[in-house]
Amino acid sequence: MNTEERQLAEMLHRVTPEPPRRVTVEDVAYRLASEPQREPRSRRGSIWKHRGWTPLLAALSVFAIAGVSAGIATVATSRHGTQTPNDGTPPATAPASGSPSPPAPAQSPPPSWETLRVAGGMWDAKLINRLSFSQGSLTGGGNSLYAVGDGSLVRIDPASGAVLRTTPYSAPVIGRPVVAGNTVWVVWSYGGGGIVLRGYDASTLAQVASVPVSATGGVSSQAQGVLAAGPDGKLYVAAGDTVATVDPASRQVTRRIQLTAGQASSVAVSPDGSKLYVAAGSFQLLVYDLATGTQTLSSSMPASGGSLLATAGGVWGTTGTGMSEWVWFAPGGNLTRSFRVSQGAGSGLASLPSYGGGVVWIGGSHELVCASPATGRAMARTPIPADHSVVEYFDSVTVLSSGHTYALYQDDRARLAGVASLTPPRACSG
Amino acid sequence: MSRALTSLEVLPVDGRPTEPDGFREFVEARSSALLRSGWLLTGDWPSAEDLVQTALAAAWPRWTSLTRQDAPELYVRKIMVNTFLRWRRRRWTGEIATARLPEMQAYGDAFAQVDARQALITALDRLPPRQRAVVVLRYFADQTEAQTAAAMGCSVGAVKAHASKALARLRDAPGLAELMTGGVAS
Repeated sequence: MNTEERQLAEMLHRVTPEPPRRVTVEDVAYRLASEPQREPRSRRGSIWKHRGWTPLLAALSVFAIAGVSAGIATVATSRHGTQTPNDGTPPATAPASGSPSPPAPAQSPPPSWETLRVAGGMWDAKLINRLSFSQGSLTGGGNSLYAVGDGSLVRIDPASGAVLRTTPYSAPVIGRPVVAGNTVWVVWSYGGGGIVLRGYDASTLAQVASVPVSATGGVSSQAQGVLAAGPDGKLYVAAGDTVATVDPASRQVTRRIQLTAGQASSVAVSPDGSKLYVAAGSFQLLVYDLATGTQTLSSSMPASGGSLLATAGGVWGTTGTGMSEWVWFAPGGNLTRSFRVSQGAGSGLASLPSYGGGVVWIGGSHELVCASPATGRAMARTPIPADHSVVEYFDSVTVLSSGHTYALYQDDRARLAGVASLTPPRACSG
Repeated sequence: MSRALTSLEVLPVDGRPTEPDGFREFVEARSSALLRSGWLLTGDWPSAEDLVQTALAAAWPRWTSLTRQDAPELYVRKIMVNTFLRWRRRRWTGEIATARLPEMQAYGDAFAQVDARQALITALDRLPPRQRAVVVLRYFADQTEAQTAAAMGCSVGAVKAHASKALARLRDAPGLAELMTGGVAS
């Protein structure tokens, strides 16, 4: 080697970091054991033969109508298109925004899906249905799952995977439905000077509330995760340069907190109800004492940030865009102490953090992580395999009161998507 | 040439592969170095892990014969490089599993370290895959030209040519000259 080659060799050894974790024999054994058992590709893609033109055209009509009423941009950012259940039930048509009489929710007879093992059996992942929903939209309440896709909010039976109820809904901003008590709350419209929240009965999905909230100073163009519920059931919504508190019982705005750092793009409430976390501008994290309404902390990050999630130890959020999106944890809501939790969360909306079963979950296309809500440290992680180098996704992990864990799954190569049941390792038991 | 075992041979009664003698010791001793090579090849840890696991999974059924030839690491590195080259040959226009994280001016991380790693990976990204593989094998894994040629399935002359071209490109990469002549410790 000449001098230059020696310098290069020395530099490579000096700069190349130590790996965050080692590969173990168990990793290799698992891979070896699981790969031969992966489902044949033809079978994975076979669901598409069930697709007919009727549901496809109907879904397109829903897309068009919902796009006009609720803003087509949000729908277009969704990577999924809801596959209408192949049960002969026509999909509901979205009414014009602000329609006073809610349409009757549709009920679908449960189709029979064969449980399908996916992602090489990672965390015993099995599809319980073959329906596609918007990334990051799955959530749980009681013993039901709720998700959003092409013009519908749906209630899913976790036992069979069947869609039990649907109601017209197109999300105007990124964010999952919020289940508070017996009501599923969504942001119905979000733009200009007005915001409308709607509440649906958690069982029937019949509309039970519609709450207008004015947004002073216009809503944030980076809005993402604008609705949160406190432990007392009150709702908090990012409303321009304020955060509005909505009492679900009276369906009134009962309080406003004025921000000093631009428009709110995301909100989260600590589990004990003492702190309100607000993402504002691009990007400041503000912490408010909810008892007094005073700001107690402000810190910033030289990047965009959003989709806040509050836990006992602090606040979680995302930064970056698209495949570069990743998740950070800020202890006590202080960004100057923040650190990255997930290595290459990947895939934008798929990496939004969620809380369930006492732990925080982060999905994506690279790895599935469960982390401590107190410290932000990963308690277990597993790589998400790729399908012939094409990424597969797990996102919006949800743990129901039964203790069962679910997530949205997608394999673009196999054109396969659905709700997956997971059996995470014991380390993920909060 | 050893044949690939069938799944039934690899997966005996309980579905768990039988662990060959010495395999665990090798993985424990060498996984860090292999992962670092994988990081230099792919630029991110998840892909590096995927690469190393792929290579180790391929080596597992042949382990006894590889250890008899005293060449398990050579074989693992060969599989890693060939797998990497195969991944890079694919012409797929969708999202790829090798997302580059924007190394934010990381709190709790030294700025200079992050800058150095980014400069290195950016420079390596500009190399054609075979030149990158030669750089990693020759200058990081400390393989001889002959070993590098064997791993890549090419001649020693080709290795020399790839190395020369890679050095010329790296010489002009922004920020890399400073790193090579003394820069930031990791």
